[in-house]
Amino acid sequence: MNRTPTGPADAAPARRDPVLRLGRAVALPVHPRTLLWCALLLLAVLAVAVATLSLGRLGIAPGRIPAVVAGGGEGTEAFVYERLRGPRLAVALGTGAALGLAGALFQSVTRNPLGSPDVIGLGAGAGAGAACAALLLPGAVPVPLGALAGAVLAMAVVALATGTGLRHPGRLIVAGIGVAAMAQAFTQFVVSVMARDQAGVLSAYINGSLGARDWDHAATIWGAVLLAVPPLLYLAGPVAVNEMGDELSDALGASAARTRTLAIGLSVVLSAAAVAVAGPIAFVALTAPQISRRLTGAAGPHLALSAVTGALLLAAADLAVQQSPVGDGLPVGLFTMALGGAYLGHLLIREWRKGVL
Amino acid sequence: MNPVLSAEGLTLGYGGDPVVRDLDLSIAEGEFTVIVGPNGCGKSTLLKALGRINRPVSGRVLLHGEDVRAQRAKAVARRMAMLPQSPTAPEGITVRGLAARGRFPHHTLLLQWSPADDEAVDRALGMTGLADLADARVGALSGGQRQRAWVAMVLAQDTGVLLLDEPTTFLDIAHQYDLLELFADLHRRGRTVVAVLHDLAQAARFATRLVLMNRGSVVADGAPEAVITAARVEEVFGLACDVVPDPRTRTPLVIPHERT
Repeated sequence: MNRTPTGPADAAPARRDPVLRLGRAVALPVHPRTLLWCALLLLAVLAVAVATLSLGRLGIAPGRIPAVVAGGGEGTEAFVYERLRGPRLAVALGTGAALGLAGALFQSVTRNPLGSPDVIGLGAGAGAGAACAALLLPGAVPVPLGALAGAVLAMAVVALATGTGLRHPGRLIVAGIGVAAMAQAFTQFVVSVMARDQAGVLSAYINGSLGARDWDHAATIWGAVLLAVPPLLYLAGPVAVNEMGDELSDALGASAARTRTLAIGLSVVLSAAAVAVAGPIAFVALTAPQISRRLTGAAGPHLALSAVTGALLLAAADLAVQQSPVGDGLPVGLFTMALGGAYLGHLLIREWRKGVL
Repeated sequence: MNPVLSAEGLTLGYGGDPVVRDLDLSIAEGEFTVIVGPNGCGKSTLLKALGRINRPVSGRVLLHGEDVRAQRAKAVARRMAMLPQSPTAPEGITVRGLAARGRFPHHTLLLQWSPADDEAVDRALGMTGLADLADARVGALSGGQRQRAWVAMVLAQDTGVLLLDEPTTFLDIAHQYDLLELFADLHRRGRTVVAVLHDLAQAARFATRLVLMNRGSVVADGAPEAVITAARVEEVFGLACDVVPDPRTRTPLVIPHERT
């Protein structure tokens, strides 16, 4: 057994994270592996973006993409970029980033890999709110506001239904299933009353879709993501400390209650913005933070990497949908649902074996 | 002498009946105070209130003469650290990473690293004997090592006052004494230590001052020999016993009577 050495550390370990410094005012530690993965995934995002714009019958030649993006496109090229694929790609990237961030925040402060906005019915609630705003009260209530109201309501119901707030993973999931089912029933009701015979509309509000997006949608989601950056910078430290438990978080000077409230609030806003522009796309919020964690092998909420991973996942899924033989009428939400459902099953079994559920 | 940490008229509770009633306590610099008492006597609740985790129903906690609630949480955390009973190690975190999280109260939004951070973390790993395991994952450590990693985290916080809530629970006896020797060593180097412990023999052996609590009040307070008497152990714990001097340290040792 080790006795306590009483002297100071004479064999200081060598491995320390490098520090990003800007003069005397800024010094931020950087995790090299996280940075490396961020760069690699951004390259992958670029590849997916080029493929999205250039593949298929209406594709823009890859060499022409810079010119077209800069505004020098002509005829079909310009039309495809401005009206068809450009906004759709921008919405996919922004929505994926928003969902990745929302999932990373939520899973971190609930200390629960299943405490993700899409698993606990928040996305479905936002979808119902969006359907309500768009179809029942067109023009009276902006769709993002409807989505936000639906998300807040769904989360309040989940928190009340568990009886223990957002702590217990098993209860959270069961309550989430119930709330999601109710929200989807409501969405189906609204859609079938207001948009009879339009299967595509229904599917967009239930599963999420990136079909027929315009630059306004892109501005909405990117606006939300950019607005979230300052609070995210502030929250990154407290959220990391909060992972060690409420008492230790309080003892270290990062109020656990305030951190959780702010993080969940921000997560709800980001989820609602994503749903407002793309519908309740499932499982990006669940998987992006966990993929990030696996890639870096390090602890922490991995906010930036989760955003990049989410953007890549959704853009790649949408690329697959657009290029699939079934045609691009297929909503991307169905695709993420199929893949993410398998992952959720795997996660449920793992957590159940660990005795968490 | 000015106390480092003191409680004035502290009443604590979680909504129902108060767990601690109108309690006064003052802790001088450089003491190793151990709080003991039966289950549910309010000792952990008291420690959490001292550590600014629980908000008192009434009364106040003063750190260096200033109400902890009137100070910013981070400012308090730069002078007083607390290790709670069951903290959660984030998945995948290394020993060094865990210790580094103890530096949080020293950071600001833009300045999240300084040379003092590396020095404090290295010092904490050295004092806890974990320098060689700095890059190991906390999840892969043995129970004794893991508890040392948590101690390294609160040591990296680099505070004059250290609060420990049952830090030896779930460890085998050798690791318990190993950790207690570490706390005694920290105390000898000038830290003010306040710990909640279950084991009376360990408390009496390591404490410079023992605070015995029962039903939310302090029933005895002073040198271990003065606090641990057979009559008091019987009264507070309901355990008939003899108290004999520890053959090695001469501190009081409780020998329970057999039931007849």
